[in-house]
Amino acid sequence: MTLSPSAFANETVIKPPRDWVLIGLWISLVVVAAIWIAPFVFIVFTSLKSTAQVTTTSAFAPPVDPQFVNYAKAWARGRFDITFVNSAIIAAIKVPLGLFISAMAAYALAKIPMRFGRLILVLILFGTMIPFQVMLAPIFTLVNGLGLIDTYPGVILPYLAFGIPYQVFILYGFFRGIPHELSEAARIDGASHFVTFRRVFLPVSLPVLAALFILDFVATWNEFAMALVLLQDREMWTLPLGLSAFQGQFSRDYGQLNAAIVMTVLPATIVYLIFQRYFVSGLTSGAVKG
Amino acid sequence: MAKRAILSDIRIQTWLLLGPALVIYVVFAVFPMLDVIWLSAFKWNGLDPVKEYVGATNYVDIFTKDPVFWVAFKNTVIWTILSVSIPPMVGLALALGLNQPIFGRNSLRAVYYLPVIIAPIAVATMWRWMYNPFFGLFGQIMTLLGLGAYVPDWLGSRDAALYSAFAAHVWQSVGFSMVLFLAGVQEVNKSLVEAARIDGAGRWGVFRYVTLPALRTTLTIVLVLAIISSLKAFDIVYGLTGGGPAQSTQMLALWAFTQSMQIFDFGRGSAISVVLLAVTLAVVIPYMRWNQKREEAAQ
Amino acid sequence: MTLTSAVSRAALAGGLLLAGTCLSSAEELTFWMLNYSSQASADIWAKLVSDFEAANPGTKITIVNRGTDDHKTAIRVAAGTDKGPDIYFMWAGLGLGGEYVKAGLSLPLDKYYAEYKWDDELMPAALSFSRMYPGGRHGVPSTFRGEAIYYNKALFEKAGITSLPANYDEMVAGAEKLKAAGIPAITFGGTVNWHVMRLMDVILESKCGAEKHDALKEMTAKWSDEACAAASFTELEKWGKNYILSPFMGIDDAQAFNLFVADRAAMVLEGDWLVGMLDEAGKLEDVDFFPFPTGTNRLYGFADYNYVSSKSKNPDLAAKFLDYLASTPVQQEALGSFGTTSVNKNVVYGDMRPLDKKWLDVFNTYGEVYLNGDQAFPLDVTTEYFRIINEVVSGNMAPADAVKAMQTFIDNKS
Repeated sequence: MTLSPSAFANETVIKPPRDWVLIGLWISLVVVAAIWIAPFVFIVFTSLKSTAQVTTTSAFAPPVDPQFVNYAKAWARGRFDITFVNSAIIAAIKVPLGLFISAMAAYALAKIPMRFGRLILVLILFGTMIPFQVMLAPIFTLVNGLGLIDTYPGVILPYLAFGIPYQVFILYGFFRGIPHELSEAARIDGASHFVTFRRVFLPVSLPVLAALFILDFVATWNEFAMALVLLQDREMWTLPLGLSAFQGQFSRDYGQLNAAIVMTVLPATIVYLIFQRYFVSGLTSGAVKG
Repeated sequence: MAKRAILSDIRIQTWLLLGPALVIYVVFAVFPMLDVIWLSAFKWNGLDPVKEYVGATNYVDIFTKDPVFWVAFKNTVIWTILSVSIPPMVGLALALGLNQPIFGRNSLRAVYYLPVIIAPIAVATMWRWMYNPFFGLFGQIMTLLGLGAYVPDWLGSRDAALYSAFAAHVWQSVGFSMVLFLAGVQEVNKSLVEAARIDGAGRWGVFRYVTLPALRTTLTIVLVLAIISSLKAFDIVYGLTGGGPAQSTQMLALWAFTQSMQIFDFGRGSAISVVLLAVTLAVVIPYMRWNQKREEAAQ
Repeated sequence: MTLTSAVSRAALAGGLLLAGTCLSSAEELTFWMLNYSSQASADIWAKLVSDFEAANPGTKITIVNRGTDDHKTAIRVAAGTDKGPDIYFMWAGLGLGGEYVKAGLSLPLDKYYAEYKWDDELMPAALSFSRMYPGGRHGVPSTFRGEAIYYNKALFEKAGITSLPANYDEMVAGAEKLKAAGIPAITFGGTVNWHVMRLMDVILESKCGAEKHDALKEMTAKWSDEACAAASFTELEKWGKNYILSPFMGIDDAQAFNLFVADRAAMVLEGDWLVGMLDEAGKLEDVDFFPFPTGTNRLYGFADYNYVSSKSKNPDLAAKFLDYLASTPVQQEALGSFGTTSVNKNVVYGDMRPLDKKWLDVFNTYGEVYLNGDQAFPLDVTTEYFRIINEVVSGNMAPADAVKAMQTFIDNKS
């Protein structure tokens, strides 16, 4: 990546006199960004090559004769139709449902005085810090005991449980910041907490909910360890499980393997590119200001 | 009429609002955490109808007889130390750079953040391919540079494998630290920066005496998040090396999984989980206290 | 998709799934097995099942397929509940198959062996495993697999190897010749631990002989006391250092195969299933094989078995179905789909690929078998065996320490 200094001359952002430190900074940032993006380029290139082309051409050589058939083959062999639908169903239920019950709980904790409120809050907060990876075996025995292994509820319920702490934590902070007058006015009008929650709090927290929604979607879409334990039947597999199995089974079809990677990564990437700004606000509203 | 009366009772309203989340959380998150402690006192293979109570035997076994446990422990510590130093440092540098008024900074931010949203298992699959000793990206680059003879067996040599896996983790996690730092940097009081400038402070001076102190809270949060996420390093290692070669990249979380779900020694797996849990608590509890004090001070 | 429709679909799918795994009723059999290896094998299974159902009115047979690891876990999941199969597939041997037998999941079949006279019908080598288990005979053989050294004829010629090695020392001498000619002798994929393990297994058989090798695998002989165990690790180290196409610890078995068919290495240690893969790769003409010359007159291999579950409500019907599967007409019909060779002695073979024909001769020559290590050991010992093999083969552990580590782990178990 080279750019002659004259390319900057037209830049309006960089005001004269030229700030050489800034230019140097810019160049290094662009170079590092190129390195950051290189793996994607390499994967996409490989995904369009036949095995013979992979073994004979350079990694950076663009595919001369794009093998789009790799995608069709990987889709069929990796049974992406099944894993894709499973991932979509799980995310479509888990994400809105999780947000809704978290929002209700956060409202109760933030706005209704109660005896053990503080204790419950700490208990839930605690959950944001504890890695569920340490509990894979007991979660497995619990879900197995309930007869829910290889079912959607069997994976959605634990997903909900481990999503609740972070969402409650963020929404609690947000609801606490909503002026008292707003909720009191509604309460005085005789509205129940349900009505206040739905009519007053949900509408004003839409931006936060949107950010949490997207973060949670990506997290649910990408989750691997718990699905690995709870979904033993390949008819129930999610995309990450399918990809992992694909790597194990078809690792010698390099083109198809990379096509499978692209297809797994693409949905989350698209969601990210569309809703980019929510990611940042979703992360920062909780962690830094919370 | 009766329904209205019940619903208007504030305690019932509270529990209806709080109940669903609390019940699911307690049953599927808190209970397993207690259960793992309980299970660690038994010998059970997942097949037998009865579990045999063995007291502290599983702990004695993992501490004294398991040839992999301490490797996994050491790797978890190394991984954690690397995780709290390298990605946050790079993230901070990027955040400072991308906070300057430069061309295309939003696109650059997007590029750096992109790996964060990719499934770790997909990152592992990508990098495993790039590390392929015969056709992978890194091998080819080194061959191109005339270093073909020095290409290491990235994931197959015990000296390189852990760090190869960590490189993939850095690529994925730098964007996360960067975004947190960016938010922190933007909170820095502009008038303080101006004041420092007027006092003749250079870039370094402003950074050292204004920005850095203002970032203290963010820094703590980033570090704690890095510690917690590194303790649970699982997907990336599972996908890249599976703990190999010869268990040299084994981690506590993965080793607990292997013992429970692959060797089917639930007792031993649970004991390893409890050790990991204890280590996590040793980090989390002081942090939560610090956080609480900070909140109280703010009010 | 709206949320409600998603919810109802999920509930429906969940319900169906539960129903599918429920214990079968009086006239039903559930059979858990691995995924079909090909469309041909899926078709033949469908046909066999419907034929059996037609011949036995009122019976219903449900086949549930899974991947290898899922299958192992699924049986464990089922063990704790009253759900589960009537018949399950599992490898034979004290390691994998034996563990389920030990847990009481398999029904002893002595009665049915007498009733259906399987001993008269099936290959002795394949049957030998049914007698290994304590408390009676368990399972019925479904397929038998042998493993041997496949070699690249052109590369052998290039290295000046004119006759195939007849013993272990000649094997090493051949590898040395290849090395001298600049050809990596053999390729393995180290990420899947069982691949390199095959080399250790055949070396152990060569160095220790049949009896001691079995005693080591059964953990009745001490690894630290038997000089041949340490000698075997020394040999393994030598192979790792000199003869295996390097780097090998970072690749898997499939890539090793790719390298073999790309003429990058002269040999692979693979099973009879490789013939089909070589055919697909168009390398059938260039490759031949020979059993690893261990000098013990035993074949390296393993058997797949079908076991009747002790929880089955219909053991008689299950045995009848297994008898049907093993019968000569069915085995004759399914030949080529279940495998290139049959466990049934009476099957006649017509047009075969030369390498398949050769495998058949090999199967008929050898009466005895030595097992893959991961099917002989319990799971935890297998995991440690893998670790030690990997350490030794990559030069990170001295052979003397390896036998000590192995024995310490075994001693600590009790």
